[in-house]
Amino acid sequence: MIHSKRIRSTTSRYISRLLLAGFMLSATVASAVIHASTPADPFGSVMWKTMVDTYFTGGDVVFDQRVIVSAPKSAENQMHVPITVDATGLENVKQIVAVADLNPIQHILTVRPEQALSFIGFRLKLQQSSPIHVGVQTEDGTWHMGGALIDAAGGGCTAPAAAHSVSNWMKTLGETRALVRRDSKGDARMTIRMRHPMDTGLASGIPVFYMNKMVVKDDAGGVVAELDLFEPVSENPTITLKPSVGNESSVLKVSTRDTEGNEFAFPLSVPAVLAQ
Amino acid sequence: MKIESQQRRTLLKMLGAGCACCVCGSANARLLKYPLHATEIGSKTWAVHGESSHFNLENGGNIVNVGFVEVPDGVVVIDTGPSKRYGQALLALIEKTVPGKPILRVYNTHHHPDHCFGNQVFDPTLIAAPQGVIDNINEEGNAFADNMYRLVGDWMRGTAPVAPTVVLDAATEEVGGRQFSLFYLSGHTSADFVVRDDTTGILFSGDLAFLYRAPTTPHADIATWQAAIDSLGALDRDLILPGHGPSDSRGESLAQTSDYLAWLEDTLAGAVDSGLTMNEAMQLPIPDGFASLNVVREEFERSVVHLYPDLEDQLMPLIDVTR
Ligand SMILES: [Zn+2]
Repeated sequence: MIHSKRIRSTTSRYISRLLLAGFMLSATVASAVIHASTPADPFGSVMWKTMVDTYFTGGDVVFDQRVIVSAPKSAENQMHVPITVDATGLENVKQIVAVADLNPIQHILTVRPEQALSFIGFRLKLQQSSPIHVGVQTEDGTWHMGGALIDAAGGGCTAPAAAHSVSNWMKTLGETRALVRRDSKGDARMTIRMRHPMDTGLASGIPVFYMNKMVVKDDAGGVVAELDLFEPVSENPTITLKPSVGNESSVLKVSTRDTEGNEFAFPLSVPAVLAQ
Repeated sequence: MKIESQQRRTLLKMLGAGCACCVCGSANARLLKYPLHATEIGSKTWAVHGESSHFNLENGGNIVNVGFVEVPDGVVVIDTGPSKRYGQALLALIEKTVPGKPILRVYNTHHHPDHCFGNQVFDPTLIAAPQGVIDNINEEGNAFADNMYRLVGDWMRGTAPVAPTVVLDAATEEVGGRQFSLFYLSGHTSADFVVRDDTTGILFSGDLAFLYRAPTTPHADIATWQAAIDSLGALDRDLILPGHGPSDSRGESLAQTSDYLAWLEDTLAGAVDSGLTMNEAMQLPIPDGFASLNVVREEFERSVVHLYPDLEDQLMPLIDVTR
């Protein structure tokens, strides 16, 4: 279960911190105490300590301006609140975890950018005004944090998906639109939009049903990026990534899976960088 | 550490600003008063101009233009403002401007809350609109009310959406000895209603036309809206009272609204085609020609959220998927 990853015991966190501290050869009792403290949240979240204990374990937690989180100040449409995370200023990124502190389901998604820039665009359902926290974990275990405060009126997660007002929505399940563009040398930009209701299970009479996995691989089968998606991701998930695919043309292979075991797969051609 | 304290300072600033507003709002709760002023824009015709800003705790949602016309036997009102309190202030202003004249007709140009949430203070049997406007108020009025309470707070006290009871479908209507032409359009919303006073040639365009204020698009269909602007441009008229902004004798509001919408659609289509995220699109530059429009950056950002999903469904190529 993906969910089991979300909760780690305080003990294992403490041990990994001690190990890390020892490795750095500067371990003293005093520094261990400092490591164990959580920095104050600049977004003033009442859930901050819980967020750290639940989602940002296994390393130090620091707020870092290199984690750029773009979000509107206020949610124009609570069913589709756009977020873009740009952590390309950080080296050796292991994973990016995004949470909405005050949502009934907090975990939005986790991305592991293996051969991709530390960048993701997505949209989420927001139940009420909430801080968004994005943790970018580097290989040393440290969580580099960024975030945003979003004002909202109420009702994003418990409102039914628009798909349910259309009678034959199952027919278009998995229908995919996508495009790949070049916007910098060696890297590409891909946007994928797939039809899926992303039911949270919180709207009355509609069971939980969402796309929970997306994997992008290169020509040779190497993982470009791996995503765990959760209930708060908006209906018809629209995801932007920046695969590092070199300058030649190639074909990316995208596969997704939902909680009912439906699997969808498609190739995406990446054009070569045009000679200048 | 340095970064952390910077962020904290920013946050404290934000909280500080927020708190000041809240305190102001509640301390002045009993003193909230809309500073309504009637500007004579034509013979026996007045505009009540709102601010060129967004809904906020200071303006109480007074961002809209309302009009009223003295006809031989009474008064015709076009739109009613954002709240019950506004409606009361409007009634008082009408009584002061044209004392002793009965209100004979109240038109609603469309269902957006700033245009019809003063309906409550008028006799419901006098409030008239096309069926589409009535349906929209019935469907979305309550959600709008929730949102307005959140945005402007205590100004909304006691306000509830009231739908018109008179369904219009004729091309003209005679009210109290004056003929009005009625136009059934759409594009800003699914039902936009335009009224022309055939005696003065003053056109009450509702939100199909904005002037010096960026158009809003939460229910817009740009192509239909452009067609509506074209048909308004072809009408005989002497003056336009746009939904927002000063009154317009030269048709500038139609040209400006049309130009802005064309730029908006092109820009967002280009952004979708480049694979930009909504947040990246929100940061695109606004050309000099529109940069001076009031609240243009805010409205542009909102429009990205309104218009992006449909553009994505139209412009992004469909991919063959194996399952
Ligand atoms: Zn409007």
